[in-house]
Amino acid sequence: MALAPGERFPDLDLPDHTGRARQLSELAGGDPIALFSSRGWWCPKEQRYMRELTRLQDEFEVAYARIVVLSVDPPEVQSAFRAGLGARFTFLSDHERRWLPRLELVERTDTVHDPYRPAGFTLFPDLTVHRAYNGYWYWGRATPEEIRRDMREITRSVRADWEVPED
Amino acid sequence: MKPFAFLVFDGERLSADPRARGRRLRMDIRCLSGEPVKGAFAHVCALARADAALRYDEPEVQQVRRDALAWWIPLLGAELVCLSTFALDASRYAGAVTVARSPDRFGEDPFARLFPGTLVETDLFAEVGPPPGPVVERYAGAPWPGGSF
Repeated sequence: MALAPGERFPDLDLPDHTGRARQLSELAGGDPIALFSSRGWWCPKEQRYMRELTRLQDEFEVAYARIVVLSVDPPEVQSAFRAGLGARFTFLSDHERRWLPRLELVERTDTVHDPYRPAGFTLFPDLTVHRAYNGYWYWGRATPEEIRRDMREITRSVRADWEVPED
Repeated sequence: MKPFAFLVFDGERLSADPRARGRRLRMDIRCLSGEPVKGAFAHVCALARADAALRYDEPEVQQVRRDALAWWIPLLGAELVCLSTFALDASRYAGAVTVARSPDRFGEDPFARLFPGTLVETDLFAEVGPPPGPVVERYAGAPWPGGSF
């Protein structure tokens, strides 16, 4: 499946960390999204990166943009992980691995957990991919500065009032 | 779509009729738009008194929305029907309502820190997916979590 810039990211239908059925487009709600696939709670690199995203949420909460994390952890595990992080964004649970093969994000080098490989996508509100990041190596992940840059670029292009209105 | 609907609260009862007697409060229009959930319970953390309001930008009003995202909504889980803050205008907060299938958790409602809660049995409200977070900023004039650009 193509997940390159300019392609439309699939409108995932998955339970969130509370077990409630959600749709990615509904989570967007007309705002840009930073979407991250994650190996799971057990990976030290994920724990580190999720803490980074949790710090960034204070900016997202006032900037009309969303953060979504996708993993194969079951909802109750995600909920506990999220609470431990102090995160206030949504985790989507693909614990049945319905979307994992279709998104072609399987981490084939982990035969124990069969998880997502870490990747990041900054998305327009209509789920068009703006940029894609390959986080298999930690340094490949989107840095906070890159996420800020992408959110600025998307917001500038979708908000008609980016340039301050005259009246 | 208009980003809000009016809910009227007289201190004991709720009405979706904007001409009803009581205080007119703006709430997320989606909560009053779909198929109503019968036999639900509303925890109305607001007062009928006209001057009971805070500025949306006060830290305690921001923090209660953060708490809703962090633990109140997960705590309610499948019991949650919908929730909305109450706006009076583009800048003033007048409280919030949480609607659930059971009132068992309402004793922990973080919104009751700001205005005391009143329990109302109700058939008015539709199920609305909870806000995904982390956005707690409102769209001007719209009660959180409603509205969009």
